[in-house]
Amino acid sequence: MSENCKSNKDFVIVSTPEVATVVEVRDEIQDVKTFYLRFDNEEVEKNFRIRSGQFIMCTIFGAGEFAVSLPPSPENDRFHISVRAVGKVTKALHRLEAGDKLAIRGPFGNGYPFEEIKGKNVIFVAGGIGLIPLRSSIVHMLQHREDFGRIILIYGSRSPQDLMYQPNIKEWMDSEGFETYITIDSPAEGWEGETGFVHTLIDKANVPVENTVAFVCGPPIMFNSVIGELMKRGLSDEHIYSSLERHMKCGIGKCQHCAIGRTLVCTDGPVYNYRQIKTLGEQI
Amino acid sequence: MYLISKEDVKKIAFELAKDYDLHGPVKEDRSGQVFFQKAEDPASIDLGAAIPSNPAKQVIFPQLERIMKYRYDSQKKEAVVELDELTRPKALFGLRSCDLKGILCLDRFFLGQEFVDEFYLAHRNRLFIVTNTCTSPFPQCFCVCTDSGPYAVEGYDLNLTELENDFLVETGSEKGKKLVERLGLKKADPDKHEAEKKAVIDKSINSFDGTATDNKAWISRVTNRVTTGFITEENWEYIGNQCFECGACTFVCPSCSCFNVEDANVAEGETDRLRTWDSCSYEGYSRMAGDHNPRKPVEDRRNKRFFCKLSYSQSKKYLRPGCVGCGRCAWVCPGDIGLPNVVTYIRREITS
Amino acid sequence: MSYQFGVCTFCGTGCGHFLKTAGDVIEGVYPAEKHPVSKGRLCVRGWHIHELLRNSDRLTQPLIRVDDELVETSYENALSFLSDRIKKAKPDPVSDIGFLASPRSSNEEQYLLMRIARQVLGTGNISLDSEGWQQSSLEVINEGTGFPGMTGSAEEIDKTDFIMVVDFDITRQNPIIGSEIHLAAMAGTKVVTVDSRQTQIAKLSSDFLQVRPGSTEILMGALARIIIDEELVDLKKIKSSVSEYEQFKKAATKLELSAAIEKTGIEETVLRETARSLAKAESGMVFFPTGISGITPATVKMIFNLFLLAGKVGTPASGVNPVPGINNLQGGIDMGAVPNRLTGFQDVRDSKVIDKFQDAWGGEFCADPGQPIYELIKKHPKLLFVVDHDEGIIKNADDISKSDTVVYIGAYNNPFTKLADIVLPITPYVETAGTYTTTGRRVQLSTQKLKPTGGVKPGWEVLQMIAASQGHEWKYENPAEIMLEIASLTPNYKGISHDRLRSLIGGIQWPCNDEYPNGCKSFDSSKAKQVLKFVAVGNDPTPVEPTEDFPWLLMVGKAMHFWHQNNLMKKTFIPNREFNAELLLYPNGFVEVSREDAEKLEIRNGWNVNVVSPSGSVEVKVKVSGDVKSGTAYMPYFVKDMVSQFLLQHKQSLELGENASVPVRIEAIR
Repeated sequence: MSENCKSNKDFVIVSTPEVATVVEVRDEIQDVKTFYLRFDNEEVEKNFRIRSGQFIMCTIFGAGEFAVSLPPSPENDRFHISVRAVGKVTKALHRLEAGDKLAIRGPFGNGYPFEEIKGKNVIFVAGGIGLIPLRSSIVHMLQHREDFGRIILIYGSRSPQDLMYQPNIKEWMDSEGFETYITIDSPAEGWEGETGFVHTLIDKANVPVENTVAFVCGPPIMFNSVIGELMKRGLSDEHIYSSLERHMKCGIGKCQHCAIGRTLVCTDGPVYNYRQIKTLGEQI
Repeated sequence: MYLISKEDVKKIAFELAKDYDLHGPVKEDRSGQVFFQKAEDPASIDLGAAIPSNPAKQVIFPQLERIMKYRYDSQKKEAVVELDELTRPKALFGLRSCDLKGILCLDRFFLGQEFVDEFYLAHRNRLFIVTNTCTSPFPQCFCVCTDSGPYAVEGYDLNLTELENDFLVETGSEKGKKLVERLGLKKADPDKHEAEKKAVIDKSINSFDGTATDNKAWISRVTNRVTTGFITEENWEYIGNQCFECGACTFVCPSCSCFNVEDANVAEGETDRLRTWDSCSYEGYSRMAGDHNPRKPVEDRRNKRFFCKLSYSQSKKYLRPGCVGCGRCAWVCPGDIGLPNVVTYIRREITS
Repeated sequence: MSYQFGVCTFCGTGCGHFLKTAGDVIEGVYPAEKHPVSKGRLCVRGWHIHELLRNSDRLTQPLIRVDDELVETSYENALSFLSDRIKKAKPDPVSDIGFLASPRSSNEEQYLLMRIARQVLGTGNISLDSEGWQQSSLEVINEGTGFPGMTGSAEEIDKTDFIMVVDFDITRQNPIIGSEIHLAAMAGTKVVTVDSRQTQIAKLSSDFLQVRPGSTEILMGALARIIIDEELVDLKKIKSSVSEYEQFKKAATKLELSAAIEKTGIEETVLRETARSLAKAESGMVFFPTGISGITPATVKMIFNLFLLAGKVGTPASGVNPVPGINNLQGGIDMGAVPNRLTGFQDVRDSKVIDKFQDAWGGEFCADPGQPIYELIKKHPKLLFVVDHDEGIIKNADDISKSDTVVYIGAYNNPFTKLADIVLPITPYVETAGTYTTTGRRVQLSTQKLKPTGGVKPGWEVLQMIAASQGHEWKYENPAEIMLEIASLTPNYKGISHDRLRSLIGGIQWPCNDEYPNGCKSFDSSKAKQVLKFVAVGNDPTPVEPTEDFPWLLMVGKAMHFWHQNNLMKKTFIPNREFNAELLLYPNGFVEVSREDAEKLEIRNGWNVNVVSPSGSVEVKVKVSGDVKSGTAYMPYFVKDMVSQFLLQHKQSLELGENASVPVRIEAIR
């Protein structure tokens, strides 16, 4: 049973978690830290590959296991996770330091359909820590800039201190063909950028509609207003993607905790287009 | 097709006990309650006992099971993850067809689809199944409406049917054939004994409660309704108001597979990962850490479980209805919303 | 057999279950079909008792406090440590020693603890902290009938014609009794729920009387008044067979019906219809809670009198039924773990009773009524014994820590151990045998299922060791012997023994004696030891009224989200998750208001509001629901910040249990 099952020719750690070491911990924003990880088993470290939009199941010894989305790009990026401390297990993770161990299963889930997106304009819309699951795609697309049309990031958070990945954002802003629009909810001292909710920036960004897809991640309230704004502009619901988060226990489509409508977020998702999401019949 | 005398039928159980951990219907002395459980003594298995109160699924998908243990020394930064070695293979002796169908549903669920559930597989792998045609249905039973009884047609190694003088033994696998050969059973007369078996089954079907035979077409009509969503909010609320959120319907269901995983610290630095039965009828089932429950009112979650048992999309996954008609949910429900009643409530709506 | 019959020990219902054992662990639980009350059902708690029984957060070593640290030791050392403390402190039994017994202990352990208190240490200061609740309800019933228990039983719910559920979220607190009531309603029995908030049982009842908070007693009086006014029962017969009728009539008719209608908010036609169906029913039962969310003693008196008037006390399939939340609270009272009673509710001052116990115990004992335990704790007694009991710890931790010597006896680690000077571990109930008495007076035997874990002794042995350390050699060989002694001293338990219980699924309902040789389903007035009597009701109830400045009545709920303060639930996986589900949705609490009021305030679900009372205010989220009436609001008592910031200022009204209400104003935050 300790063998790692190969599904769809991908390397997946299905049942027995593989031990990994925390190589570095970085503070991001309040309650959010990034953990850089390395598998102890060299064979695993070599074979472990992810797709943008996938997630892993992460065991914190003595506390439990939780599902977490993957921010690194599939290629040429350090393996890491960025996690907000909200529950018992994530709080235990936050107590870990460099050198501590944890264990990982996965990667699981479908990921973003890059093949279908090639050649199109891409709009990323994120609110708060919604940028975490989008980071992988952003970095990946910048690594393959020639494969896509316009790339636009519209990102907002409550305050300047709540903006994730600020060094990364600066880097991206400097790279060619990357349009960035950043806002915070209400004016703050020292903030000279935009203020107001994320959806209000969609106008300003003059986003394209033809041959365009949008990736949207953020709190439900922001999600709904952004979707409304995009669709008003004529973007088809089929071309708006998001990755959903659910309570998960197994990650492999068995425990049913993440059942939503007729699908399971862990195996059918976590990435859905908005046309699918609408038919799921539950709150997002 | 073979025959074995009624006195000798347990020889099969004794033979199995040599190589397998034997499980079967056993009556508890004090209460007479029947449990499908491990039989240390093969003689304690009672083939004539009532339908076991618990589903046989608990043998291969236990109520609580350690699936892994790990040790972590936070000082030395050493982690060891270990799996439990699985012991002897298991044999199920005297399984009813409803419970067998439940296992077949679980097989499709745990072993089919994208990933294989390795913990289930470990139990299921070398299982030996001996089914027994059900001749004494209970008032709650309605397997005749859900294509799951009272007799087994596939999925067994051996199938028994109690005829007038003997048990008819049918083989369903190479494993089954070998066992029959080892016991040197005499061959049955295909025509004569097939007819006798059919008579036994007909008699059994005739003894089902009227509501069961009456429900036959209703299950599929209600399934149609549930699938297409044409059920009033008021009806779901009427059903939801009666849910005590005890989870019993899920636990007693031969085909329900929801589970929970928890890490339990057993000693300093030592943790068991436990897998336990869970139920989608619980409010906390889908809740996420930090203030968000995608599913709210009880009616919505009821909706989910009945959807799982009574809808075409789910039937497609199992290649049969999710409900196997054992009627156990009707016994244990503190509300009055065992599956047969839910069918009745929805049916009332259709006819009115 | 891997499934062994047993009794669920969570709540007072006492459902039958089977525990699945494998070697030295419990691997599962399954409901018992033949159990006369639970009939093959269990609630969410019962379905997960194996999770609790696997919990490894157990007390495994005796501990004593040395230089402010708890250190591991042996039972023998811990007890000689205790003896030294007692020798040094020379506590006065009347003022310096207290026993807080546990409503979760078996009858045998309760009895031995009582014997230690009264005989070994010579004090009457022993309590289950239920004087104001379950015990006071039993005192009312005992005063009126001479029968110190629920006069009906859950087993007869399907035989009765009328059921009233009063201020009781019964499908959450005692779900299987709630289930019986629901199934009776489905079968056509008239079920009337009286509550200020719409509970699940309210939705499942034939009638729901949503009274103004705090007006239940007035409602009961009004129903009695209608029965008398309309002569719905044979009043002549009542006058001749029940004493104190005139006095009760005076009390019940003092309040004009019109005033009762105003104060309860229930229409006259509904009141009359309810009174008529109660009076005209062949048989009838009432269920009310006596736990932390219990109703006031005055309300209990009125309920008892109403049902006595309606002929529903002492007649078949009828009863006045107080229901405790904890599994063996009834048993604890039966075992005399209370300040003023010996076993079977025998009066501790009765000289015949005293003689009987002296003979059996071979010596004198303290026959004085003791003090209420929390009064005593406030005075910091030198020696305090606490058994398996961590509720009340938050409000009493400061006082308890001021006692010189605190002895804690229990199976699981809990916050109490931090306050203790001596910790004596005992086994959980599956590792020894013992009897438990349900709310329905049903005495059930739980047999030993596992070997005691690593040197831990069962409670009865530990108690016997404590007695021996003080020079009292008891020499009980096993719990069955203890029960024989209890039966010999307790008329209601006379026919009960482990031998007899061993073969019974569902035990025996006391009284089990010459009058009721096979136990008693419901109290039979023809066998009563006294003339039935209306009990004196107190002053006129004066429910809290809203004012112009504080126009809402805020109900403070405890039942919904708590069961027994969730001390045990915390040690399970799934019930722990479920009991916290609401808390996770509203991590900082909520105030529930009606749709109508939400519209008036122009607020929506999830918005923040200020709840302002005359003595403070708190900001919480709003939950808009159809479960509270306009003009009332509901706030759960489960969020720590709320308790300290806001609700503690209303401690006095909170002590009224589920009837507690506080006038408030709700302000939208824009």
